[in-house]
This record gives sequence, C-alpha cells and structure tokens, in this order.
Amino acid sequence: MKLRLRLALTTLAVAVPMLLGVWIADAVSRHRAAEVALAEFTRMHMLGRGRERCEADPDAWGGEMPRPPGPGPGELERGPPRSDDDAPRGPPPAGPREHAGPREHAGPREHGDRPRHGGRVAPPQLYAYDPELHAANPAAPLVPAELAARLGDDELATWPWAWWSPEVEVLVRMPWDTGPCAVVLARGTTVPGWLGAILPATSTWLVPLFALFAVVLAAMGPIVRRIRRLTAEVRRSAATGYASPVALSGRDELAELARAFAEAGQTVRAELAEKDRREQALRRFLADTTHDVMIPLTVLQGHLSALRERAGAGQALELPTLIAAMDEAHYIAALVHNLALAARLDAGALQLQRGPVDLCALVERVVMRHRPIARQHAVSLERATPEAPIFADADVTLLEQAVSNLVYNAIRHHRSDGHVALILDSHDAGAHFRVRVVDDGPGIPADELARIAERGVRGNEARTRAPEGQGLGLDIVHRVAALHGYSLHLQASEFGGLQVDLAGPCAGP
Amino acid sequence: MTRERVLLIEDDHELGTQIADQLGRAGFAVTWWKEGRTIEAGDVPELALVILDLMLPGTYGMDILKDLRARSEVPVLVLSARSDTADKVRALKLGADDYMTKPFWPEELLERVKARLRRPILQRVELVEVGPLRIDLAGHEVHMAGRAVELTRVEFELLTALARRPGVAITRKWLAEHVLGSELPSSERTLDVHVSRLRKKLGPHSPIETVWAIGYRLAAGREP
Repeated sequence: MKLRLRLALTTLAVAVPMLLGVWIADAVSRHRAAEVALAEFTRMHMLGRGRERCEADPDAWGGEMPRPPGPGPGELERGPPRSDDDAPRGPPPAGPREHAGPREHAGPREHGDRPRHGGRVAPPQLYAYDPELHAANPAAPLVPAELAARLGDDELATWPWAWWSPEVEVLVRMPWDTGPCAVVLARGTTVPGWLGAILPATSTWLVPLFALFAVVLAAMGPIVRRIRRLTAEVRRSAATGYASPVALSGRDELAELARAFAEAGQTVRAELAEKDRREQALRRFLADTTHDVMIPLTVLQGHLSALRERAGAGQALELPTLIAAMDEAHYIAALVHNLALAARLDAGALQLQRGPVDLCALVERVVMRHRPIARQHAVSLERATPEAPIFADADVTLLEQAVSNLVYNAIRHHRSDGHVALILDSHDAGAHFRVRVVDDGPGIPADELARIAERGVRGNEARTRAPEGQGLGLDIVHRVAALHGYSLHLQASEFGGLQVDLAGPCAGP
Repeated sequence: MTRERVLLIEDDHELGTQIADQLGRAGFAVTWWKEGRTIEAGDVPELALVILDLMLPGTYGMDILKDLRARSEVPVLVLSARSDTADKVRALKLGADDYMTKPFWPEELLERVKARLRRPILQRVELVEVGPLRIDLAGHEVHMAGRAVELTRVEFELLTALARRPGVAITRKWLAEHVLGSELPSSERTLDVHVSRLRKKLGPHSPIETVWAIGYRLAAGREP
C-alpha cells in the first residue's frame, strides 16, 4: 500500500468514528434542549390563558399552538407565547410537523420533509388530559403507556433514546392536579436543522475539514519523494556490492536513516571482508594440509610397494623398510592430529574446555601411544608418575597432544638404542606439576634453542618436516602452554639431548 | 585359565575384524557387535571388558555407555576419532574407564586392555612378594629365593619403597627425599651407592632395575 493511501485510510478510520460521536452528542444535547424548551413553553402557555381556555372547552381544546417567532430551538426557551390568538380552534393537527404559519389547523406534512434552517418551523401541539390521563377531546392521541409510566408523580416525562429523531414529545404535569387539563402532552420538533447544538448548523464546516485532509495528503508529497530517493540510493549501493555508501543529503530523519544504512553497510562490508579472509585462510590451510599429509602417505606407499615387491620375489622382508613404513603411518597420525588442532588454533575459534585432568593417566596414555614406535627404533621409553594422582585444570585434548608431541619429537629425532623418559612430579608441596621429557638424542644447537625459546616456532618453519626444523608439533606445544598459562622450558639435557619442562599449577580432582 | 570375555562394539568392518583378531590372538574371547544397542544383563555372560566405539550409527555410543553404567561396573574402554575435549570428558563422566583416540597401534590397544583388566596385587600389608623376593615388613626380614638377606635400615627402606609399586619406575629424587630424608642434589649419589650395595646383597638375580633418567624400579615380571 502506498504511503498516501495508507495515510488517507488511517485518517478516515480515525475521523469517521470521531465525527459520528460528535454528531450523536450534538443530537442528544439538541434533543434535550428541545424537550426542556417544549416543557417550559407548555407550562407558560397553560399558566397563561391556556388553562382557562382548556377548561372552558376541554372537548375541543388541543392541537397546534401558535409559537413565538424566532430561529431555532433556542427561541422555545425564551418564554411563553405572548399572543392571545393562540386559542385552539377547529380539529387538532394530525402530526407534529407543520409549517409554522398563521394557520393553527393545517394538514399533515409528509414525513421526511424536514423544516430547513431559516425556514418556518411547525408550532408545538398540546393536548390536555385529566389526572387519569383521559382526554376530553376525542382528537387527542392516547398517552403512550411508557410515557405515562415514566411520568408517575413527576412533573415531566420524556422518551428515552429519542435523540435520533427530530420529533420531541413530553408529558407535563400542571401545578394543579384536578380538572380535564391537569396533564398536557406536548409535541414539537428539534427544528430548524439536523445539526446545531454543538456542530455548526450548516454542513459547510465539512468543506474546511476536507480541505485540511487534502492539504495533509499533498504535504506527504516531499516526504514520499525523499523516501523514493532513499530507496533508489540503497538499490544503487546494493548494486555495487555495498561498496559505495548510501548518500542522502539533508538533516531530517530520512537523512539520518540513510546514515544508519551507510553505517550498517560498513559493518556488513567489514564482516564480509573478515569472512573472506577466513575463507582464504581455510582454503590455504586445506591446500597446505593436503600437501603435508600427501608426502608421508607417498613415502608410506613407497615402502609398502617395496615390501610387496620383495615378498613377490620370494625375498625376505626387510625389517628397516617395515619399520620405516610404520614410522610414516605414526607420523601421519600425529600430523593429522596436529593439523586439526592447528586449524582450530588458527581460526581463533578454539574455546579451552578446561576441566580436571588426571595427569598420571594422561602420561600413561601418551607413553602407551608411542611405545610401539619407540620399540621399532630400539628407543627405550620410560615414564615415572607419583603414587598419588596429580590433577590439573586443563583442556585434556590440547594438553595430551602437547605432551604427546614432546615425546614423539624426542623419539623421532633419535638414534637407535637411545632413551626417552617422561617424568611427572609435583613441586611446592603439591601446588605445581611438572612434566619433563628428556632424551639423549642429538638435541638442538644452543643458538636455535634460544631462538625457539624466544619466539616459538612459527610459519613455514613449523611445517617443515623434522629433524631440520622442530616442526608443527613444537609449535603446538608452545601455543597450548601459552593458552593454559603454563611455563615451557627447553634446554640441553645432562645426557646430551633435549630436556623440555612443561609446568603449571595443580588443581583438585 | 579361562579366557576373559571382551565385548567389542564397532561398526567399521575392517577395524572390527582387526581388533577382534588381535584380541583373539592375545588370548581373549571376543564378542563383536557390529551395531550399537544397549547391553542387556544376559547378553554377554562373564563380561570382563567393553570396547565401545563412540561414533556408531543409530544408537549414539554415549547412550550405550550411560545405559550400561546404570547397571554394571564392567570396565569400558572408549574408542574415539574425535579430538573434541567435551566428548572425552563426557565419556569419562558417564563412567568410561579410559579412552583411546584413533589411530592406534595394536600393541597399544592390547596394553590398554590389559591395564584395564589388571587386578590389584593382593598381598598382606606386612608381607610383600615380588618374584623371588620376599619382604617381611613387620619383621624387617628379606628373603631372596629363600635365602635370608641382611640389610641396613636404609637399604631395607629403599627396597620397601620400590616394592610398594612393583614394575613402576621411581625417581631418584623421590627416593632420596623419602628414604634418605634429604633434598640435597648430592643425596641422589648417596642413594646410588645404597642401591649398588643393596643389589650386591640381593645377588646376580637382583630385581632392581635402573631406569634411564628416572631412577629405579623393582621388576615385577609383567610390566614392560
């Protein structure tokens, strides 16, 4: 629905009930005023010469009474008729609506032919009754039972709910309560206009009302045009992928709205850019990961193929090739775990899911995981855990992967017949734990060790296949330690290899 | 000795076959369910251990675990391909005894199964027996292959400290602190001297092993 149509309909929806209400209030008060005036007229008339005439000839008295001249119903209130020639003569009128005139006995007017404003109005009709409400005049109408009932002992009875009709009928009790003219039924109309008590008497007032309505609709024009311009601006901005701002000059609310659009557009653009960046990072990561995993897989396939050839030729299987194949498989497993973790760390979406971690059980799992491959290399893998369990508040997956990386690095960079030991103990009266991985392998040159301690292992270097670089595994250890707030110390071990200490606070189970 | 019954719940055919074979070769009686369903009381009689893959189609592994734990204390070893901490923590909370992340070596699986089934060594508090070694704690007497061995107080305490956790490596630092009552670094060398004398007294079949970079261990014969 267009704005203008909506406004027009809304105005109508509000105005129509309001006008109806005013019209009803107008009719009610006008009717009430007419009733009061008619009753007053009746009393004054009867107190004047009316009673005298009525009681003199009750069989014929009744009908239209001459009313005082004047416009509108207000005139009725002004006072009693002053003319003496208002004596009823002849048959009573058939109805209450008669053109006012010198005639007291006019023919009945047709219903609906309402007196116009400014025109002559019908004079009131009076009929007299005795206290029992019997009329001596056969032309007098029967007193309506409801009106009689409403009169009771009161001085005045009126119809309820009569406001919608222009006809006014009241039953008035006279100050005397005997004789044939003790009660008078008076009939009149709420002449001259249909409107008048509150609203202006003519309907010309509707003209400025509709004019105002038209003005409001016309005033909508500039607003509607500005909204159309804003729509066009937003569409134009959308067409450029929200790269250009939504511009609408001015200082009004619509310009404000345009600025809000522009701000929202900026936020959306920033978020889209961030999403793009993440998506590219993810794509790059997937490509790198695939590459990283494919190399050891290719090597593994090579080993398996060599074994297959020797088996096919009936030759004995070469143990070194078999061990190398197992090595590759173990490496792939560790790599995939590390890559998955690195992906989560890189995405920045990693939420540490900390909880009490049984470190003795964790050490046990790590040793059991790597012992099969250590055995193949004739590397002894030993561990020591205290008798009493030690708990830490940590993310078990991350911590286990970190410890696992330390142990696996120690095994992988090792010569045969070497040693790797994993020692868990507590310090400071059980306040801190320390996981130590120590080996007697080749170790890391002092200068490189210092560099790793300072910056950790990052970027491509982290992905390089060890033994040259320390690899992704150590990078993850660094990051896990930092995430948990644990300390990580790498140093040359007293046995010639590397000694790594990962330490942090203990927690209750 | 009757074969211990292991229930394997694993939907992958290849992996299931391998695990069942390995456990069978290692002397276990294996019941293999290829799909997840709740374990009713009479389903697998004399059940010693359950190996449960958490990522089963249909019934979620956690539901099986929860249902089982409500009625039974049988050890449960959970297999998981997920590196999600919440999953592991939840499995342990629901009563899993241990979990293994895929991939794993067959030896690893066997070690973990055996570790779960290993019953605590029942021994009277005052008498410790490890292989040919017999230690009477109350009487302060030590017998090696039936032969009485005279030990000093420190040597006796050293031996009992190791014997309390047979097969487990104990650090020299801990032994020095708890046996010699000293935290000085030099005390570890003193400890080595005591161990050397103790070994001599126990003879050529001394069960005291040196563990590289850690300390000492009393060989239990079953701990690798």
